[in-house]
Amino acid sequence: MRRVAAVARKEMYHILRDPRSLAVAVVMPMAMILLFGYAMDTELSDLPVGILDEDQTPDSRAFIARATSSGFIVDAGRLACRADIEPGFRRGRFRAALVIPRGFGERLAREPVSRVQILIDGADATTAAAVETYLRAVVALFSQDLAAPTAPGVMPLDVRSRIHFNPELESTNFIVPGLVAIVMIMICALLTSVAITREKETGTMEQVLTTPVAPGQLVVGKVLPYLVIGSVDAALVLAAGHFVFRVPMAGSWAVLAGYSLLYLLVALALGLLISAVARTQRVAMMMALVATLLPTLLLSGFMFPLASMPWPLRIVSRIIPATYYLEVIRGVILKGRAWYPFQGAVMLGMAFLIMALAVRRFAARLE
Amino acid sequence: MFRPIAYLVLKEFRQVVRDRALIRMVIAVPLIQLFVLGYAANTDLENVRVSVLDQDRTRESRRLTDAYHQSDVFTPGPVPEGPSDLNRLLFDGETEVALWIPSGYGADLASGRPAAVSVAVDGSNSSVAGRAAGYAQQIALVEGQRLLEERARARAALGPEVHRVEAVSRFFYNPELESRHYMVPGIVVLIVTVISALLTGVAVVREREIGTLEQLMVSPLTPAQLIAGKTIPFAILAFADLAFATIVAILWFRLPFEGSAALLAGCALVYLLVTLGIGLLASTVSATQQQAMFTLWFFLVFGIIMSGFFFPIENMPAEIRWLTYANPLRYMMSIVRNIFLRGSGVADVGPDLARLGAIGVLTFAAAVLRFQKKIA
Repeated sequence: MRRVAAVARKEMYHILRDPRSLAVAVVMPMAMILLFGYAMDTELSDLPVGILDEDQTPDSRAFIARATSSGFIVDAGRLACRADIEPGFRRGRFRAALVIPRGFGERLAREPVSRVQILIDGADATTAAAVETYLRAVVALFSQDLAAPTAPGVMPLDVRSRIHFNPELESTNFIVPGLVAIVMIMICALLTSVAITREKETGTMEQVLTTPVAPGQLVVGKVLPYLVIGSVDAALVLAAGHFVFRVPMAGSWAVLAGYSLLYLLVALALGLLISAVARTQRVAMMMALVATLLPTLLLSGFMFPLASMPWPLRIVSRIIPATYYLEVIRGVILKGRAWYPFQGAVMLGMAFLIMALAVRRFAARLE
Repeated sequence: MFRPIAYLVLKEFRQVVRDRALIRMVIAVPLIQLFVLGYAANTDLENVRVSVLDQDRTRESRRLTDAYHQSDVFTPGPVPEGPSDLNRLLFDGETEVALWIPSGYGADLASGRPAAVSVAVDGSNSSVAGRAAGYAQQIALVEGQRLLEERARARAALGPEVHRVEAVSRFFYNPELESRHYMVPGIVVLIVTVISALLTGVAVVREREIGTLEQLMVSPLTPAQLIAGKTIPFAILAFADLAFATIVAILWFRLPFEGSAALLAGCALVYLLVTLGIGLLASTVSATQQQAMFTLWFFLVFGIIMSGFFFPIENMPAEIRWLTYANPLRYMMSIVRNIFLRGSGVADVGPDLARLGAIGVLTFAAAVLRFQKKIA
């Protein structure tokens, strides 16, 4: 035990002597919460739309006024002719163009249906679809205004829509659980693996091994400080989310802490496995990036919907610890659920399996 | 002048090639990024489970249910036994959307009263909730619109003519609206950025950490030659990755490539000034590889978030939008997407390229100055 403590103390000195890495590890998640909390609005607004009014009648102007009266789209300027549209897309001046063809006003008075054209830059599919939906709604509203004198404005369907567990769809409620998962993986897997491979690369591992410290004690001692930093960092992110950005806590902190500890163990085990395999720091870093950080970011359901992925990726997502941890942390924070036997068992199993693999690799190397 | 650089480049390459694990990583990382991101970075919603509690059981209620089940976004979820079961399904995460059609729905519609239905969405899942709620509402609205039109038509048969405006829409560049077409060129930029900046930064610090940088400094190499020798190998690697990623994007992901490959290569050359410069700069302020890696990681993460890769820049508040003007990734992201999808030429990407060039020259000059001072 004393030997473990000695190794841990040595590692702590290493960490404290490099305050910048520690600062990055602590400051980055904070800065991300700030950025996401204050700055990132996933709701679209102020999309520039070019307008080509070929008609130039009071009717067309009324239509344009109606279309641009909300905050969703902004008038990016009048176009002189159709040839102006594509260069505008290519230079990124606007995302869509609204064309009111010649004769719009005249048709409106005489014929049952008159048409306007919506030309959309489809490159960014998500934005394009949103712009189309919005512009179609504007057109429908304009039609309703026209029909208003003849038809009573009662909507046939009364849709009562409610969003459970996160009624305002606050982006910080989404970001905080994901960030906690990422921070713990980053510190426990990335930092641990790099710290251990550094001893291998600079040759100090052999020096340490000639001391009476057993390989097991060495590993535990080296890992301990990162376990502490990882927990503190995750707690900081949660606290900032809860107290500054009012992320709710529907469940219990103790339950969350328990499951988080499980997840930390898996992350540490991964870090150990990487350091058992990698010989140089840059390889360890790249491996940690590919095996832990990227999947946590992309395949855990944090940023991209799992259900839309092709089946091979859905299977891969099931072997990523963060997938399970995210289900738990979202449930605890937002729903107040406490009992996750399946997710807990999977994380425990992963920790044991990976740890066993890592120890076997290590034992073979260190003999 | 050039012979020493060539030797150094050769040495660096040998080191990279001899580190089998590293070379595997240099090949594997872009590959994995491209394939995983190419398939995962799909923001189109599919297979979102909707559980329907139909207590009305009329033709009208079945029509509404079908509207949900047949949409591209939703798929039938577990069938609830009652209103409280509907909430349980949401709570346990067994379904994402719960639709409740109370009895009397069909009768209300028939008599012209507003018919109530309720839609509940699990708001806890970040990647699904917002848009699923939007689609769920939209389907109900479309259904309402359809009913409204049916009534209007029934009335029009008797009364005066109804005038309306119809929208005809057309999508340029990506008529199928595949989100992948927009994400994959962005991934190409990410790969080039990460490989060139991270490897350059770490390579220099590695020599310092294991003590061979001093040996290089006492050799007759000038600082300029040293810099060239340290950056050229990674520039070549980055170019190889760019070419490879572009080919995969076109052949595997079937992306259109509307613009000119020469222009893409030219822009990449300008961009490499930035990334190699950042890598060098990080190496001058770092004593260990871990430090260099963390410093770079810090800047890359924020550069990526504020590049428009995932979050559209138009959505950001004005202050953040101002910050993005200093972000080289933002320009490269837009240039590469423009060349790939919109077929933009030199004149179109000119303004972005000019700003990118200015940032590149500044970064690289700063890096060279700091590097020389550090070595001399």
